[in-house]
Amino acid sequence: MAVTTRLTWKEEKSLQQLLGNVSLRLLYKSRVHGDSPENMLRKCALQGSTITVIYFHNSQQDCILGYLTVIDYDFIKPKVFFYSSFEKDETSKTKAACLNTTQKITDEELAFYSSDNKIFSVIPKNSRLFIHDVLRERLGLNLYGNFKYSEWEVFRLEGIKDVAGYVRKRTRATERRNELLEDLRAYKPYADLVSEIRILLLGPVGSGKSSFFNSVKSVFQGHVTRQAAVGADLTSITELYRVYPIKDGEDGKSLSFMLCDSMGLDEKKGAGLCLDDIPYILKGCIPDRYQERIHCVAYVLDINSISNLSSNMVAKLKQVHKEVLNCGIAHVALLTKVNNYDEVLQDDLLNMNKSMTSKTQVMNIQRMLNIPISNILMVENYASELTLNPLKDVLILSVLKQMLRAADDFLQDLP
Amino acid sequence: MEIRGINTSFETVHIICFSIFNGKCILFSTRLRSMAVTTCLTWMQEKILQNHFGGKFNLLYKASVHKFSLEHLLQVCSNQGPTVTVIYSKDHVTGAFMQEGYQEGKTSFITLFALQETKILECKMKLCVPSMLFVTWTGWHRQKKYEFGIDLTGRKLHISANTSKELGLLQCESISFEECEVFQCEDILNKRKMEEVTELRESLWSSMRTYKPYGDLVHQIRILLLGPIGAGKSSFVNSVKSVFQGRVVHQALVGSDTTGISQKYRTYSIKDEKDGNSLPFILCDSLGLGEGEEGLCMDDVPQILKGHVSDRYQFNPMKPITPGHDNYVDSPLLKDRIHCAAFVFNVNCIEYLSDEMVAKIRRVRRKLIECGLVHLVLLTHVDSMDLITKDDLIDIYRCPPVKSQLEAVHKALGFPLSDILLVSNYTSEWELDPLKDNLILFALRHMLWAADDFLEDLPLEETREMLLAV
Repeated sequence: MAVTTRLTWKEEKSLQQLLGNVSLRLLYKSRVHGDSPENMLRKCALQGSTITVIYFHNSQQDCILGYLTVIDYDFIKPKVFFYSSFEKDETSKTKAACLNTTQKITDEELAFYSSDNKIFSVIPKNSRLFIHDVLRERLGLNLYGNFKYSEWEVFRLEGIKDVAGYVRKRTRATERRNELLEDLRAYKPYADLVSEIRILLLGPVGSGKSSFFNSVKSVFQGHVTRQAAVGADLTSITELYRVYPIKDGEDGKSLSFMLCDSMGLDEKKGAGLCLDDIPYILKGCIPDRYQERIHCVAYVLDINSISNLSSNMVAKLKQVHKEVLNCGIAHVALLTKVNNYDEVLQDDLLNMNKSMTSKTQVMNIQRMLNIPISNILMVENYASELTLNPLKDVLILSVLKQMLRAADDFLQDLP
Repeated sequence: MEIRGINTSFETVHIICFSIFNGKCILFSTRLRSMAVTTCLTWMQEKILQNHFGGKFNLLYKASVHKFSLEHLLQVCSNQGPTVTVIYSKDHVTGAFMQEGYQEGKTSFITLFALQETKILECKMKLCVPSMLFVTWTGWHRQKKYEFGIDLTGRKLHISANTSKELGLLQCESISFEECEVFQCEDILNKRKMEEVTELRESLWSSMRTYKPYGDLVHQIRILLLGPIGAGKSSFVNSVKSVFQGRVVHQALVGSDTTGISQKYRTYSIKDEKDGNSLPFILCDSLGLGEGEEGLCMDDVPQILKGHVSDRYQFNPMKPITPGHDNYVDSPLLKDRIHCAAFVFNVNCIEYLSDEMVAKIRRVRRKLIECGLVHLVLLTHVDSMDLITKDDLIDIYRCPPVKSQLEAVHKALGFPLSDILLVSNYTSEWELDPLKDNLILFALRHMLWAADDFLEDLPLEETREMLLAV
C-alpha cells in the first residue's frame, strides 16, 4: 500500500475551516506502518505539533474523528478533539471540543484522561475507539458504546501557531462569530432614541478608516468586499464624506448602525480634512442624504505609527477631541494594522488580553486623548487577504460591538 | 510501554521512554527542544530539488531534533515511499534520492546529487540496499571504501574521489556536516489533488452561472480592462472565453507590437457552452496605455467609464472621442456604463514600469475613484516567473517569490494587497488546464463582487433615473 493519506479533499477542507490554512504532512499510517502505539511513536515523536485522524463509518457516512497535539510546555495539555461527518449530499458537520487532559500511552492503548476519567482512547489490538459520554455530547456524536475504526493516520501540522491558546481560540472562533453576528443583527439603540447609531471614523491619512468599513461589510457579507476605495498615496484616497449603512448579508435589511467615513487628517496645513468641518459633521450639518448627528467617534490610528506621530498631527487630534468633548459625544480609539491580531483577545474571546492592553502604544493613546483602556480597540483590517478568517471576524465584530456600547452610553447620558 | 512527562522546565521536557524493540528493552531519554521541525532548505533550494526529482517534499526526519543515529532515522523513515536524504555541510548541500525509500532488505537505485547555487549535478550509485549509504562502526566496515557514506554519529560524509568528481565537489575524503534531513516525496498532482481542483472549478463555474448583479440593476456587468500595452488584456478576454467554451479560443487579436495590437474598443459577451445562455458579464477591452503620445488617450477614459463609447470604436491616440462620432452614445444608461475596472499588468514587468507610466496609472486610478468605480489589479504571466512551475498554480498566492511581487506592486502603485489577483493566460496551449481555469474563474468572481459593491454604492436617485429611462 502506498504511503499516501486517505484524507479526502472535503475532509481536509473541514479541518482547514476549523484551524485555518494549515498543511498536513503525513508521518504515520496504521495500515502501512503497523497498528500500534509503539509504531506510531517511532514515526511521530518529536515532530512538533501533530494531528491524529481516525477514520470510521457511521450509518453509511464517512466520518473522521481526532485530536490535535500542540507542542506546548504545560504538563497538563489542553487537547482539542474534533469530529466531522460528511453526508452523501456533500454537506458536512464539524464540531470541536477543548478539554484539559493528561495522556497515557501503553503498548495496548493510547488514552486521554480528564480529571481521572478516561475520556478517549484508541485500542489498536481490536481497532476500537472509546469515547466518554461527556466528550461524545460535546462533539455531537450519536454513536454509543465502543466502535470500530478502519484506520488512523498521524500528520505533522504546519502553519499553526505552536501555542495551545491559539488553537483553542481558533476552534472557538466560528461559534463566537455567529454569536456576535446574532447580537449585532438584533441590536437596537438605547431606548430606541434614534433609528441608527452613527459612528464617525476619523484619523490620519492611510490609517485604515475606509478599510475598516470594508472589513465590517465583508464580515456581514461573508466575502471580501471593496465598496470604499482604499490604497496608499501621498494624499487621502477618500475625498468625500460618506455615510455607509451596513446590510445584513446579501439583500438583507439595513442594520441599526452606520459608519461615516471621512477624509484623512493630513500632516500638512491646509490639506486633508479641514478641522473647521468637524463641528458640522459632529452635529450632522453635512448633507449626505441624512441629517442626524454623530453618536460615537472612533479615532483610527495605525498602531505602528503612534510613537512617530508628529506634533502637528497630535495637535490636530487634540483639537478635534476638544470639539468632540464639547458636544459630549462618545469616543473610542481604533488601532489598526495590528499584525498579531490573534493575541488581542483572551482565549475565551470575550475580553482583551492584558499583554496587549499594556503595550506602550495603548498607554500613549490613553494619555493623549484620555480614553479608558476598554475603549482602546485593536484590529487588523482585511486589506491584504482575499478570504475571510473567523478569528479576524470575531475581533472586528467585537470592536464594533464596543463602539455601539459607547454610543449607548452617550444616549443614556443625553439630558 | 509508557511515556511520562517528567521535570517540565521552561525550555526542555525530559521524556523517558521504555521501548520494546526487536525483543530487547531499550531505554532512551530524549530532550525535547524548542526547535521546530522545519527544513533548512530555502524555498528556492527546495523548489530546484522538487523540480528535478518531481513531487512535493514532506519532512520526516531532522537529525538535530530526532538524534544523529541511523537507528532513529530508520525508525522514522522506513517504509515511507520515495525519499530524499539531504546532507548539509558548510559549503555544500548533497544527498541521495531513493525511489523505493528506506525499505528493509529491498535493493533499489539510488541517485546521488549535489546542489550548488542553482545547479544540480547527479550520479547514479550501483544497485544496493539503502542502509549501505550509511557508515556503521564495525571493524570490517571501517576499512571499506565508500562511494558515498554517511556517518550520522560522527557527522562525517565519506565520498570516493570518483563520486566527488561527478558531483562537482572539491576532492575531499571526508566532509563534516551539521545537519541531515530526510523527506518523503509526495506526488503533487495526484488523484486527490486533482479531485480538489476539479471540484473547485465546478463550484466557481456554477457560481458564475447563477450570479445576478446586485439588486438586478443590470443584466450584465461591464468589466473594463486597462493597462500598459502588451500586459495581456486581450489575452485575458480569450482565456475567459476559453474556460466557458471548453477549448482554447483566440477571438481577440493578441501579439507584441509596441504600439498595441488592440486598436479598437471591443466589448465581448460570452456564451456558456453548457446551456448557450449569455453569461452575466461583458469584458471591455481597450487600447493599452503607452508612453508619450502612444496608446490610450487619457481623456477617453472618463468617456469609456460613463458609457459613451460603443463597440468597435477605432481609437485615436492623439485625440479622444467626440459627441459627433458614429460610435458615440449620447445618453448612456446604467447598463452601458462600466461597473468594474481591472488594471492588467505583466507580473514580470512591474519593476520596469517607467515613471511616466506609473504617473499615468495613478491619474487613471484617481479618475476611477472620482467615478466611484471599484477597481482591481490583475497580474498576468504568473507561471513564467522565475522558478514558478505549473504545480505552483494550486497555491500560487502563498509562494514566496509571488508574495514579494505582490508587495512590490503594492509599494509601487499603492493598491492594497487584497485587490491584486493572479492569472496565467492561455497562450500556446490547445487544451484547457483546470489549474489555470481556477485562477481565471477566481479572479472573475472577485470582479463580479467588486461590480456589486459599485452598484450597491450608487446613490438611489441615480439608479432610479437610469432604470426609468430604460
